[in-house]
Amino acid sequence: MPIQIIAPAPFVAADEEDDEGGVSLGLDNDGDIAMDGDAPRRTVGRQTGGIVTPGEVVTEDPQWMRGHGTYLSQPLVPGGSQSIVSSLAGTISKTNKLLSIRALKFRYVPEIGDLVVGRILEVQTKRWRVDIAAPHSATLLLSSINLPGGILRKRTSTDELQIRTFFSEGDLLVAEVQTLSNDGLASLHTRSLKYGKLRNGVFMTIDAGMVRRMKSHVLTMNTSNGGGEVDIYLGVNGYIYIAKHTTPLTESGGPEGKSVSITRLEEEASEAIYSNVNEEISPETRAEIARIACVIGALARNGVKVDEEMVHLGYEAALEEFLQGLEWGSDGEAGKRVVEAALVKRREG
Amino acid sequence: MEGLRNDGRRWNELRRIHCQLSTSSTNADGSSYIEQGFTKVLCNVTGPAEPSSRQKVKQDSATVSCEVYFAAFSGTDRIKRGRNDKKVQELQTAIQKTFSSIILTHLFSRSEITISVHILSQDGGTLAACINAATLALIDAGIPLKDYVCACTAGQSTSIFDNEGASPDPWLDVNYLEESDIPSLTVATVGDSEKIVALNMENKVRIEKLEAMIAVGISGCAKVRAIMDKEVRRHGKQKLEAQGE
Repeated sequence: MPIQIIAPAPFVAADEEDDEGGVSLGLDNDGDIAMDGDAPRRTVGRQTGGIVTPGEVVTEDPQWMRGHGTYLSQPLVPGGSQSIVSSLAGTISKTNKLLSIRALKFRYVPEIGDLVVGRILEVQTKRWRVDIAAPHSATLLLSSINLPGGILRKRTSTDELQIRTFFSEGDLLVAEVQTLSNDGLASLHTRSLKYGKLRNGVFMTIDAGMVRRMKSHVLTMNTSNGGGEVDIYLGVNGYIYIAKHTTPLTESGGPEGKSVSITRLEEEASEAIYSNVNEEISPETRAEIARIACVIGALARNGVKVDEEMVHLGYEAALEEFLQGLEWGSDGEAGKRVVEAALVKRREG
Repeated sequence: MEGLRNDGRRWNELRRIHCQLSTSSTNADGSSYIEQGFTKVLCNVTGPAEPSSRQKVKQDSATVSCEVYFAAFSGTDRIKRGRNDKKVQELQTAIQKTFSSIILTHLFSRSEITISVHILSQDGGTLAACINAATLALIDAGIPLKDYVCACTAGQSTSIFDNEGASPDPWLDVNYLEESDIPSLTVATVGDSEKIVALNMENKVRIEKLEAMIAVGISGCAKVRAIMDKEVRRHGKQKLEAQGE
């Protein structure tokens, strides 16, 4: 009978420091199993300034207040002191006497003023439910959008009946968080020409924590290879939309340079604002939009926070990669190389 | 060989454990993969998110739901297990009950946390591997837990005396052969404390043997926690370094 030899499992480097390699339980003198559970729980993260993990005692000092990501342990003896224990894997942040843990990865928690990209989930009588990647879907009231026909127009029952002509299920939009209710439910608004329905582009998602908060979350990039200008909406919630640039109607005036009255402007804007029809997008622009999407995806996958600078540097690096004759997706390492090249560029300034 | 089990381990030896976090880049909030010997389990966690149905809405806390999928090729025989399979439902309930008490659900009212477990290969200790994988995926998703939940199995040889005339030691972390041969139990603890959150046994065993089995299982859990903790820290460190650049 042939002898079959199975290759041994590769040595796991993580076990290096562990003398027992995690495979055997020590015996104490009388042959019982040594109970590791009796040892006090370690507080490694605090000393190394690194990471705390769930169940780790952060402090026993009663002067600290417990914040997010922590809980108070049950005292060992009745009336004994309680210690602050971590409930997340993350880093400790201290604000005066408040101890909180910031998780390495978390779901988006809406805050007032955040620019978010969302998708309509449901149309109700006077509002929409919008998915913004938060624990609860947000609401967008009919009264907090720009109605066609100017900002001063009265909302009528006809608008309520025609609610689907503004946004219907599945539509993408960019909005701002207007209010938060007591239990964290967000209410959005699009009452600015910066916000509204999204089209002419692609939608992508990354982890919410990977978008760095910036002054402006709408970037306009000049792309190469005849791609023209491209708009990037970096939602704080990790939803991203990359679209062909459209000239925004600003209050400074129309194309001729003469200023238009605000009401007139609204009328002009409104005609196109809720259209579902994409403009003609050239293949060059499509290619550059796809390239930017790949760059943002690669940055997020490799743990680099996405901001304006990194998108620009990453895009440049991707172009250089492209010029070397390497195609995206030809090997799995392309994204990593681009991110590394972008980081080198940033260090060089 | 004296005192060795059929796969060459001693009575108190765990199988090799390999675990990974953030394994899936799809729309799961947290994901993990764990190998305990040849038992291989993949876990995805979504949430806290809007509940999928009205019945799952709780006004003051989050609902924990669990879905278990057995790959048809995971066992020795090719078996397709549907949604209503007894084994699947039993695992789902066990995992869901375990984590409902450990996740700090009161922080997320009217939302749902979904744990979906995919069993890719079974070689004993399936429930234990599922629980361990779910713990890692929940940590990856940034969902607050009281502590790690670690699970481990322990078996008891049915012979009354071993070769030296003493009563035989319980076996830690049984594999598939041992599991089908001797009575075994799965025990899950809160971190490395001795608080048991899940205890499952499907066979009969002499009552005086039970305590030793549980004790061995509990110390196995503490070891499992140390291994998982090390991986979480390694993963976290790697992530922080990437962001710090």
